[in-house]
Formats: sequence, structure tokens, C-alpha cells
Amino acid sequence: MIFLRPVQRFIAYWKPSVLPLLIVLTIWELAARWVLALRGVAFPTPWTTFVRLGALVGGDTLSGHPLGVHILNSLRRWIMGFSIAATLGIGYGLLAGRLRGVEKATAGIPQLLLLVPGLAWIPVAILLFGIGETATVFMIAIAAVAPVAINVLSGIKTVDIQLVRAARMMGARRHILFFHVLIPAALPSLISGLRIGLGTGWRVLVAAEMVVGTGSGLGYAIIQARWTLDYPASFACIAVICAIGLLVERGLLGPLERRTRSRWILEEGPR
Amino acid sequence: MIRFENVSFAFAANGTAPVTVLDKVDLTVGEGEFVCVLGPSGCGKTTLLNLAAGFLFPSRGRVLFDDAVVVAPGPERGVVFQEAALFPWLSVLKNVEFGLKRKGLKGSQLKQTAFAYLESLGLGAHAHKLPVALSGGMRQRVAIARVLALEPRVLLMDEPFSALDANSRERLQDELLRLWVTNRRTVIYVTHSVEEAAYLADRVVVMGSTVEGGIFADMAVPLTRPRSRTDDGLLAMKARLRAVLATQPCCIQPLISPRAM
Ligand SMILES: Nc1ncnc2c1ncn2[C@@H]1O[C@H](COP(=O)(O)OP(=O)(O)OP(=O)(O)O)[C@@H](O)[C@H]1O
Ligand SMILES: [Mg+2]
Repeated sequence: MIFLRPVQRFIAYWKPSVLPLLIVLTIWELAARWVLALRGVAFPTPWTTFVRLGALVGGDTLSGHPLGVHILNSLRRWIMGFSIAATLGIGYGLLAGRLRGVEKATAGIPQLLLLVPGLAWIPVAILLFGIGETATVFMIAIAAVAPVAINVLSGIKTVDIQLVRAARMMGARRHILFFHVLIPAALPSLISGLRIGLGTGWRVLVAAEMVVGTGSGLGYAIIQARWTLDYPASFACIAVICAIGLLVERGLLGPLERRTRSRWILEEGPR
Repeated sequence: MIRFENVSFAFAANGTAPVTVLDKVDLTVGEGEFVCVLGPSGCGKTTLLNLAAGFLFPSRGRVLFDDAVVVAPGPERGVVFQEAALFPWLSVLKNVEFGLKRKGLKGSQLKQTAFAYLESLGLGAHAHKLPVALSGGMRQRVAIARVLALEPRVLLMDEPFSALDANSRERLQDELLRLWVTNRRTVIYVTHSVEEAAYLADRVVVMGSTVEGGIFADMAVPLTRPRSRTDDGLLAMKARLRAVLATQPCCIQPLISPRAM
């Protein structure tokens, strides 16, 4: 039954998520009934949302596009914004980790960026790029760049001094030390930075699409469904957003991060 | 070969007065000598070794290696750390190759040399594992293989086996002696164990507590090699070392933190 192994592993991996999901669905269901009873408002229940999601998947359009198009456009913007953030964040982190002058000159800037709420960039984005695609990508990039930069830099700054000493003792000088010791040693931090940046980017993306007027995308679809009073569709989009975020986080980056950490860190710990 | 001349060392503490760890230390270690540095915890043994390695520099006085002032660490002074300090992202073989590459070895010669050193420490079968998959004793063997591969003139060892269980510790001590006898290198070996010092060293340098800030006894070990752990001479040597250590105030800080009280 060797072919069942991946299935078993899949079940084992996602099993812990079942109970929390049930709790969320229960609270949602109760809230929906409560709102209906108290205010007479048709608050979408999990079931109506699910049915609407099925219809959307089946081909119903939202604001003129099928659900798939919204998803693909959102994903495309996310990947573009995040790629820019990752490139700049890693580039900055490495440069500042390498050159003390750069670190000093820019000290505190990433921390400052981190303090700016993602949506506060809306006026900046619109002034710089006008309404549309570029503005959204800009907002994702600028929100996601700080966590990446901070993590890469701190990863390099906090490398175990004994490893650095060992390398220098074996004859490693600046260049080798940086590329063959500091960077690999900082890899777990780099991956956490990317994971945090990816999450931040996703949240900002959805919010940005609601405001910056992109004409498509999950955020746009949520806000547009309001005008047609198609709340189940809004909810369905929110569910899709959660599912995508969860999939990337739990299915991709979480395991990657845990893998590097358990390899990189020699101390015994829960694996 | 290694000479400390009137060396003082203080850790510059932020705001408060610097903490003097070593005060006017004079010590000469000759070619081929196996010297153990013995002393209670916190007396500055690691600091002494780090000065010889070139990781730290004296506040006053100088540290000489072959009559030249030590200005940086280098492969001629190989260091074995208390925790193996292997690169966790490299396989055992690649860890050993790291230093060899810096010496300019390439291709099959690089691989073969690294492998030969691993074999000599009984690690041939583990060459392609990551350090995380090794036991503490095996990691320390890799650390030794990696340093020996540098063909250092001096081995600087900082309590290399203190984290191991008694059995592996004794086996590694014997292996170290075997390697040392076949290829006499200078060794400076830091330990807080009287047992270890008496068994391994030609000469034991006993360091005092921080207050004394230096070396207060320098004793030859008048035993032939190979030694037996149960030999009367060895037991007598241990007793002498203990007696010397006992004259020193112990400077181990209390383990209970003020907050816990
Ligand atoms: N980075 C540091 N900053 C300030 N003081 C330090 C620092 N490192 C060590 N010390 C102090 O210097 C003294 C000597 O330290 P050292 O590590 O050399 O001791 P040691 O003899 O190796 O002790 P052990 O046997 O516990 O390893 C200690 O009292 C310690 O408190
Ligand atoms: Mg020490």
C-alpha cells in the first residue's frame, strides 16, 4: 500500500486543522442565525456561502469576470509585488549586513516602514502611479519589503560567533566568510522573513484591490459584490482568500521553514 | 612557539569599569609540548586560548606565535571548540573540505584528503551525513578531523570533550593521544578536570580565580607514555593538582539568580 503514504501524510498534516475549522464554522453559523433573528438581515451562512462558491466555480461571473480570473489576477499581483519586496529586502539585508556604512546610514528605516499600516500607502500609491495595477503592486511591495529586510539583516548580524571564528581559523577571509558562512547561517531567518512578507503582502493586496480600483481581483470582487447585495459572493471570496493564504503558509512556507530550522540548528529540540 | 609576554586582558563592559580577566600573564609553550591549562570556571582559560587563537587581543603585553605578534586567527593555529561549531548546512565531508579549500586544494585531491582525515577518526561511514545526524562525540571527532586537516602547528583545544559522557570522553582522549604521538604537534588543552590534565599533559598550567588574574602554578607531569588511568603515579599527580587547586578561592558564581530568591 505504498501509494497510500502521501495520502496518509497529507491527512496527518491537515488533521490538526479540522477542529479549528469546525469551531470557526460553528461560530459563523451561530452569528448568521443570530443576526437574522435580531436584525432580520440575511447574513450568509456557511452553507449559502458554500453554495454560492460552488456556483461561482461553476461559471457565474462577478463584476464581469469569472472567479478564476479574479483569483489569477490577485495571485499575479501578489507574486509581482512580493517578488519586488523579496528582491529589495534580501538585497538590502545582505548589503547592510556586509557594509557597516550602509547599515548605519539606513538604521531604523525598515523598522519605520514596518510601523506604517499597509493601507496608509494608498494616497502615496495613487499619487505615484494613479489608479490601477501598478499602484496595487507598489503597495504589496512596500508593505512586504520591511519584514524581509529586517529578518535578513538580523539573521546576518546574529550568526553564532563560534561559527565565524571557526571559519576565520580555517583561513576564510571577508568574501568567503560572507558568502559561505554568514549567508547560509542566516538562511532560516531569511525564510521567516519571506514567510512574514508573503503574509503581509497578501493582506495588503486584498485591501488595496478594494480601494485602488483595479477592476478585478478578489478584493475588488468582495467590495463590488456589495453593490449588488451579493453578500454570499463576498463571503465566498473571503473564504477563497483564507484558503489560498492557508495553503501557501501551511503547505509551502511553514514546512520549508521548519525543515531548514531543524537542519540548521544543532541543539536538540522538538522537531 | 607560543609566548605570552606580560599579557593583561580586560573585557570592556559598557558603562561600568572593565573586567580584568588576565593580569600580567607570562607563559611559554615549546614546540611539541602538550600543555594543559587547568583552572576553576570563570578564571579566564577560554580567554587565554582565544588570545592565542587571535580571536581576542591583549589590553597590554603581547602574544607571540613563532616570534611574531598574533594579529588574526589562521590555519596554523587550529582551534577545537567546546561545542563542535560545525557548519550545520554542510555535510561532514564538506565541513572538513572547508579549510582545505582555503588552502587551495581542489577536485579529487580535496575530497580524498578530507576523507582520509575522517577515516583516521573513524568517521568514513558518516562522511555524507549532516552534523545534525551525529552524536555529540561524533561531532567533536569531525571538529578534530577538520582541524587536523589544516595541518596546524598548534592545536588549541577548549574543553573539547567536556560535554561528552565519560566513556566517549576517555575514548576520544586516547585517540587524541594516539594522533599526538604519531605526529607531535604543540597542544594547548584547556580543561577544568584534574583527571584529564594529569592523563594528557606533559605540563599543567594552573590558573587562579579572576581575583588573582593569572597563572599561579606550572607543573611538569613526570609520567612516561603511554599512561594508564589507574597507575599510582597518575593518581599521585591528580592528588598534587587537586591540592594546588584547593589553595585557590573558588570563583564559581552561585547558580541561583537573585530573581529566584
Ligand atoms: N564577553 C564578555 N564580557 C564580559 N566579561 C566576560 C566575557 N566573557 C567572559 N567574561 C568574564 O571573563 C571571565 C573569564 O571568562 P572565560 O570564559 O575565559 O573563563 P573560563 O576559565 O573559560 O571559564 P569556564 O571554565 O567556565 O569556561 C569570567 O569571569 C567571565 O565572567
Ligand atoms: Mg571556558
